[in-house]
Amino acid sequence: MSRSLEKILDQIFQEKVFLSISSVLGFLLIWYLVTDLLGLMPAIVLPSPEKVFFTIYEKILDPVGEEKLFGHLRISLIRIMVGTGIALALAIPLGILMGWYENLDAVASPIIEVLRPIPPIAWIPLAILWFGIGLASKVFIICIGVFFPTLINTYLGVKFVDPLLIKAAQTLGARDKDILWEVVVPASVPLIVAGMRIGVGLGMMCLVAAELVAASSGLGYLIVLGGDDLKPELSITGMILIGLLGLIADRIILKVERKVVYWRKE
Amino acid sequence: MSESPMVNNQLNGKLVALNVSIVYEKNKKSFLAVDKVSLTIQEGEFVVIVGPSGCGKTTFMNTFAGLLRPTKGKVYMDGQEITGPSAERGVVFQQFALFPWKTVFENIEFGLKYRGIPKEQREEIVRKYIHLIKLEGFEHAYPHELSGGMKQRVAIARVYANRPQVLLMDEPFGALDAQTRTIMQEDLSEMFLAEKRTVLFITHSVDEAIYLGDRVVIMTARPGKIKRIIPITRDNLIPERRKMGYEEVVNRREFLELKNEIWGLIKAEILEKHIL
Amino acid sequence: MSEKKRKKSIKRWALSIVSVLAVMSLWFMITSLAKIIPPAFLPPPQNIVTDFIRLMGNPYVGNTLIGHTLISLQIVLGGFFLALVIGIPLGIIMGWFKRIEAIVDPLFQLLRPIPPLAWIPLSLLWFGIGLKSKIFVIWLSAFVPCVINSYTGIRLTDPILIRAALGLGVKRQWDLLREVAIPSSLPIILGGVRIGLGAAWMTLVAAELLASNAGLGYMMQMARRALEPSVIILGMLIIGILGALMARGLRALEKRICPWVVKEER
Repeated sequence: MSRSLEKILDQIFQEKVFLSISSVLGFLLIWYLVTDLLGLMPAIVLPSPEKVFFTIYEKILDPVGEEKLFGHLRISLIRIMVGTGIALALAIPLGILMGWYENLDAVASPIIEVLRPIPPIAWIPLAILWFGIGLASKVFIICIGVFFPTLINTYLGVKFVDPLLIKAAQTLGARDKDILWEVVVPASVPLIVAGMRIGVGLGMMCLVAAELVAASSGLGYLIVLGGDDLKPELSITGMILIGLLGLIADRIILKVERKVVYWRKE
Repeated sequence: MSESPMVNNQLNGKLVALNVSIVYEKNKKSFLAVDKVSLTIQEGEFVVIVGPSGCGKTTFMNTFAGLLRPTKGKVYMDGQEITGPSAERGVVFQQFALFPWKTVFENIEFGLKYRGIPKEQREEIVRKYIHLIKLEGFEHAYPHELSGGMKQRVAIARVYANRPQVLLMDEPFGALDAQTRTIMQEDLSEMFLAEKRTVLFITHSVDEAIYLGDRVVIMTARPGKIKRIIPITRDNLIPERRKMGYEEVVNRREFLELKNEIWGLIKAEILEKHIL
Repeated sequence: MSEKKRKKSIKRWALSIVSVLAVMSLWFMITSLAKIIPPAFLPPPQNIVTDFIRLMGNPYVGNTLIGHTLISLQIVLGGFFLALVIGIPLGIIMGWFKRIEAIVDPLFQLLRPIPPLAWIPLSLLWFGIGLKSKIFVIWLSAFVPCVINSYTGIRLTDPILIRAALGLGVKRQWDLLREVAIPSSLPIILGGVRIGLGAAWMTLVAAELLASNAGLGYMMQMARRALEPSVIILGMLIIGILGALMARGLRALEKRICPWVVKEER
């Protein structure tokens, strides 16, 4: 590449980064202006950026409701992990068996097809009726959210494995049972993990929904409390934390995916 | 010279097909893919099937592989009817079919586990074949890191290492570029010299067929029948063929005569039956 | 071969029907016959049918079944279409013009991890309990997938197609965008629309559970308070069926608009 071409490319690159940074700063600036300096929005409607910042700082030390900030975070975390864990433990084996054994597929499919279109959030009233406001109802909803996408993707992964691989294994002497665990399951891992990713994303939404509607702790509770007590800075705190939690969860699964599906060219 | 439909006591070949017909369904219509084909392959023979596209070569071979049941007629190995796939009839596919999550080593090792061969012995065998296919250093590479030619070599080694009595190869070099293909043909020739097996090989390339095969079976267009069988080695047309390099063989007069004959037959099929 | 396939198909149908019948009978038995489970917890299946008939004619918490359904549908479709109209063009522009992407993307990525549901309390604070707050949140939930998919679709336009167009005399950016990039991205864009609809539907249910005085979600909440799980389940089924119908409708639309797509989907 000629030197002048490099220079131009450098400029463009910097220009892009410059634009990105300046837009974020611009956003913060406008926020700050609108709330603090110009006082266009009352603090009850939209708090200024530093207010949010201080609230976060404050609530790390002082409790809101029964817990401090990290306590709420921990509770939400426990809910999502338990719900996800149970869902994965049920969905993946069931998906594999349903994909491989036609009879099981025929028996289980109709039930699943009836339950699947019902959004997990629609289960909330029933869940509250059955389990109350405690941990169980949240875990139940999250479980439903994570279960179905994972099940479907696992099922599809197993059912639509490249038949060529199965034929290759057969002509090398493997028997049916061996083929399921040695060939079909490893071959479906990419789809299974993709399903997990969708499922966990949905699970986060279910966590928020369940905590908004019926909880007395957790990040969703903070968000609702902020609305009820006319303290939007509390809501925003909760929202930021939930956003972060979602991002981290997604990154973790991406890392898992990269590790487990090591044989793919990027 | 063509093979006439067999009489019952002629089950004395390694692989025998008796009056095999195959019908398959697509979109509620049935197609006759293979029409009353009979063929006997002797032990240690390298038989090549050529023919126009879609003439049923792969479908026919799949019955020998046990991956397909003939609609009519039967296939036998060593006098026993073939009813399903078996490690004794190894298959090399055109699309390689390597297990992408296993290394080269693990791929080649795959069949050996099901033969109950203990670990140290497996290692020995695998290393021997990696050496044979000249891929030392790549034992722990994954298929996606390999070129087409390398992948196919692994696929061949995987089947060879499993020591099947019969090798069924379905256009194994079809996905490779011309240069790699030539080298692979020489390699296969070498391997066949070193360890003789019974081989049924499908290809589009007439050159390849004459270079590799003991007999060349020419199939008609769909529905596939045997049009002609041309022996290559029986009349000692090209002695010591397998020990010679590709360029040496391909330019000999005998080779060119055979090629003209075979290609003439195939071309006639294509034009007559309006395939293109 | 066809005989075999037909037999397999019949066997599959038989198994499925038997399975469904078995579940229904079990449900009936434990609620009606053996009365192991109280009706306030799990209603007998026939109650759902009778409630359906009842609610078709008589209002329940303010509206008949159809009334609630229509209210929910109106809100969903309103927010959804608004999201399409704004989101798709934005995504397309972001995908095509790198500068705009540089400006908008960072803001987008910042706000994206926050689940749309989490905006509900803030939205209530800003817009009150009426229609606007719900439409805002629903709009947000459909907006994000529309933008992302439109953006991705444009970005993934096969450069060969663009080169082909250039070689055939197409010169202006706008023409390239209109004649090549947008049509080729339609499948992906429509995929985003489908996701957006599902998200909008889910968000509607949550919004109605939290703060509404009409609609299917509200109906379910009230039924929970009145300990009438049969109405809850009725609501769930209707939500599920409506969601599935809308998804089917969209898929059929996709096939019409993009007949060149060959998909293997369940």
